[in-house]
Amino acid sequence: MSTLSGKNIVKRYGKDTVLKNVDVEIETGKIYGLIGRNGAGKTTLLSILTAQNPANEGTITIDGEPVWENEKALSRICYSREISQVTMFGPNTIKVKDYLATARAFYKNWDEDYAKELIKLFDINPKKRVNKLSKGMLSAVTIIVAMASKAEITILDEPVAGLDVVAREQFYRLVIDEYAATGRTFVISTHIIEEAASLFEKVIIIDNGEIILEENTEELLARAYRISGEETAVDAAARGFKIYHPESIGRNKVVTVLAEGPVDDFAGDVQVEAVPLQNLFYAMCVDGRKEA
Amino acid sequence: MLSNLGEDKSIYLQIKEMIEDEILRDILKEEEQVPSTTELSKFYKINPATAAKGINLLVDESIIYKKRGIGMFVQTGAKEKIMETRKKSFRETFLKKIISEAQLIGISKNELKKMIDEENDL
Repeated sequence: MSTLSGKNIVKRYGKDTVLKNVDVEIETGKIYGLIGRNGAGKTTLLSILTAQNPANEGTITIDGEPVWENEKALSRICYSREISQVTMFGPNTIKVKDYLATARAFYKNWDEDYAKELIKLFDINPKKRVNKLSKGMLSAVTIIVAMASKAEITILDEPVAGLDVVAREQFYRLVIDEYAATGRTFVISTHIIEEAASLFEKVIIIDNGEIILEENTEELLARAYRISGEETAVDAAARGFKIYHPESIGRNKVVTVLAEGPVDDFAGDVQVEAVPLQNLFYAMCVDGRKEA
Repeated sequence: MLSNLGEDKSIYLQIKEMIEDEILRDILKEEEQVPSTTELSKFYKINPATAAKGINLLVDESIIYKKRGIGMFVQTGAKEKIMETRKKSFRETFLKKIISEAQLIGISKNELKKMIDEENDL
């Protein structure tokens, strides 16, 4: 097993500190989900981890070796981000097949047959120019590059953002197929948490430039609860636990509780339910920025 | 493999219970092969580690067993075993819910008994 590790990463853009002393560890052989609100620092973190963007402070290593300007280390990683439809000189008129040829030259494990299969699956016309692609087609091309790179660690930044529901499901199944067949590591950032949550062995939640959680998804959800009922009963049951996003309606109250571990029984006459990852994420992040 | 996965329970437990249900319904018969972790994870779009966790619980409880290099199979006597375990939790998981709902809406003990008798006769 290898580890891609970021330690004490700080990134500033002018006066804004977008990553505040972030520690993160990506172990190979797992599928990771990276979730966070817009502007939380997801893309910055991913681009720093893959040495496409320098950090102001901190170190990025893979198995102890620095990643920055380290060709050998970087050849193990693919960071496929959305292709820009404009360049400094105007519209990006490169053809899809030429874009893929560049990727083929770059990734030493590139699988051309697999790339062709995916072009068919996503129904992409390789002769089309990038600036003529729809949002969904752009997403598909970034997915094709990521998958066909066969890189040991494959990072996808919001791969499903422009895809319709059919293509999204196709993508999730592709990842599972590939993962089951090869054990490649995937790091996937997404806003569509609900439909991808069951894919992630581990989840990383980033908020406001800080990683607030990095944990096995099942274990995390096993200690998260939604407690509802009459206000005083809910308060009593939730006492001593970490509480997120309390909401009241009339005499009723709902809180999201994140306990240290699974709780067998909450005291009193309250309703206790499981919390899906998306709702937990919402509860944890919805109030954060008001306090800050 | 008909059911959809819900969000009210850990996925690995749902995988486990679903395979148990299929054994109870004779969809999976004793000494028959159980879908592999990979098949389950593809079908349900879940992480293979999660599917494996559910499968391993069944192995631990001797509901299924591993044939090296071939796959997982339903243990002889598995159905009986599952029935026993489920009977034990029947009160906790079903009866208590029914009774608390009955109390909440004012169904008397006798009314409830009568209803159960009537349903059972159908």
